Amino acid sequence: MNRRMYAGSAALAAAALIGCGVSPSDSGDIELSDEPVTITLNWWGADSRTQRTLEAIELFESEHPDITVEAQHSDWSGYWDRLATTTASGDAPDVSQFDQLYLASYANRGSLLDLDTLSEFLDTSALPDGLRGSGEVDGTLYAVPVGGTPNGVLINKSIFDEYGVEVPDLDTWTWEDFDTAAQRISEASDGEVRGVGPFGGDSFTLTVWARQHGEELFDETGDVVIDPSVVASYWQKALDWIDSGAGLSAEQLSEETGVPLEQGSMATGGIAMGFSPGAMYTVHAAAMPDSELLIADWPTDSATDEGFQYLKPTMYWAVSSGTEHPAEAGALIDFLINDERVARIFGTDRGVPGNPAAQEAIADDLSPADRTTLDFTASITERIGDAPAITPNGASDIETIQSRYFERVLFGELTPEEGAKQFLDEIQSGIDAAR
Amino acid sequence: MTALGELRALGTGQRRHAIDSDTRDNRAAAGFLAPWLIGLLLITIGPMIASLYLAFTDYNLLENPRFIGTDNITQMLSDERLASSLGVTFTYVLVSLPIQLAVALALAVVLDRGLRGLAFYRSALYLPSLLGSSVAIAVLWRLVFGKEGLFNAFLGIFGIEGPSWVASPDTALGTIMALNVWTFGAPMVIFLAGLRQIPRQYYEASATDGAGKWRQFRSITLPLLSPIIFFNLVLGVIGSFQSFTQAFIVSGGTGGPADSTLFFSLYLYQEAFASFRMGYASALAWLLLLIIGASTAIMFWTSKWWVFYNE
Repeated sequence: MNRRMYAGSAALAAAALIGCGVSPSDSGDIELSDEPVTITLNWWGADSRTQRTLEAIELFESEHPDITVEAQHSDWSGYWDRLATTTASGDAPDVSQFDQLYLASYANRGSLLDLDTLSEFLDTSALPDGLRGSGEVDGTLYAVPVGGTPNGVLINKSIFDEYGVEVPDLDTWTWEDFDTAAQRISEASDGEVRGVGPFGGDSFTLTVWARQHGEELFDETGDVVIDPSVVASYWQKALDWIDSGAGLSAEQLSEETGVPLEQGSMATGGIAMGFSPGAMYTVHAAAMPDSELLIADWPTDSATDEGFQYLKPTMYWAVSSGTEHPAEAGALIDFLINDERVARIFGTDRGVPGNPAAQEAIADDLSPADRTTLDFTASITERIGDAPAITPNGASDIETIQSRYFERVLFGELTPEEGAKQFLDEIQSGIDAAR
Repeated sequence: MTALGELRALGTGQRRHAIDSDTRDNRAAAGFLAPWLIGLLLITIGPMIASLYLAFTDYNLLENPRFIGTDNITQMLSDERLASSLGVTFTYVLVSLPIQLAVALALAVVLDRGLRGLAFYRSALYLPSLLGSSVAIAVLWRLVFGKEGLFNAFLGIFGIEGPSWVASPDTALGTIMALNVWTFGAPMVIFLAGLRQIPRQYYEASATDGAGKWRQFRSITLPLLSPIIFFNLVLGVIGSFQSFTQAFIVSGGTGGPADSTLFFSLYLYQEAFASFRMGYASALAWLLLLIIGASTAIMFWTSKWWVFYNE
């Protein structure tokens, strides 16, 4: 029984003992080594991504016989624990897949390499400016965005058909249309199927909701700027759906926390409509082969701000500042984002690629689901607004905090207004503490 | 050789011989102890000292720790989530441990009657203890006590439509307590061994005097078993305070719904790895050590009134 405690304190302390190891390497004279070198590539994701990535690594190694790439991968939840501890011990992987939640936290603390120092090996010019900018922290490029995805509404048309409910006109639908359709589904199925699924616990939908109301979560200096009333209205929406029966109950929602996508209410046919990053369409389509699945832009109101959508970077590639082989790391990232064969291997597994050449390369032999994702992203891209500021240092736990307060609101412990205020205060104090 | 023996040896001709053999013994002892000692120093004591230092720093894992004196301790005093996690943990220890031990003792007494196929029952009942702290069982638990879970299917037989037990803040902790009670096998096996040590004559003699089963249990079994109960209690308290896996898996790492399963160690973990506050987390780890130490000390102190050593 004691072993768990030992393991815990040992992990804490092992991190402590060797904790002083982070030192940015000299950035002068970066060149490819003459000797064979080994670099590590670290990513999170499901099995299919692992297979695809290993295939890309093999291709890279065959073209660079002197470079061996060692693969490290895990699922999302364990990924950040391990990256934090390996970074603390000075043993961070050379190249790591990154998420925007953690980008500023690592960059501001000197753990990532300024990628402009690798420009000789790593060419990012193919990426659209707006997307490339999402890898910058305080004007320095610390990570290369792989691709971007808008948020959308997944619609299980088979459920609509089954219960004889008409799908609203998805190009012009309003929030009222949405609510009505959701409620009809719940009523027609006697509550067996609900109209709409989880909404309120993730920062992506919160950001899009805020932008529909002309607000942003953070400003460029990394402070919380959103009006608490907007967060409250966002949670009120979820409560309204519960009250009207259109949405899943509070318990059903809380039961979905941490459940893999394939077992979520959308994939198992428990809901007719669900909010989701566009890039997740493919995973859903694969998980529910017997259903006809549509994806649409969010509903709007007459008062909705134009350009509320944006391309959220699906993920990035970043180089540890402690790497001994920056040139090779740069060459690997260059290969991953620019080589068309890699683009074909990856498909849309890491989201629609940001590199237009890669998009073209995969356009011909796309599966129907990938085709839908690509078309949806392209149609939204025509009317996206400015990218929001990335999650600042000290706020990388925003999603955990958000879902915690959302649950307290769901179970009536706090009103949406109280919850919103406390939620934003806690985020801001985390940001202040990290300064 | 005892210290007293050594003193005596000093005054006699045995002196040289004694020292030689002592040195040899000591060397051998040191050799055999070394693997354990090195482990203790490197994996336990060293890290503990380091974490004690970190408890007084602001440390985000990525930058060097910064000494901030007692700020972490001051922060604890006004930390609402700390207070609620302590509430959850104490409730868990105070409710689930006594139930677990009572179940274990009751079953041990029944099994001790000399059932046929005892070995089978003993193994079968011990099985949950082997599995209980595993990730797989915690995942299973989520499914058993979910809305569509086995438990509700069982209630459905009686026409009761149960809620989702793991997803409601009122019942989520209860399901984790149930999981802990279910792992009664380990203390049960220890109780069984203890029961075997009680001389049968006591029961025979008391039966002749007309004592019933309940009277025998209260006046013979309980007092003679009290050192074993004490042992199980101390181990149980130490283990329960550190409980982590079940809450982590059942709540998907969040301590939810609404912090109702936010165990102390889970909160510590979140602070360390989700919020990058390793300094504060180290301070929390020391607080946990102090709480466990104090609880154990209190139990030892009270033991002189209720633990009966048959000497």
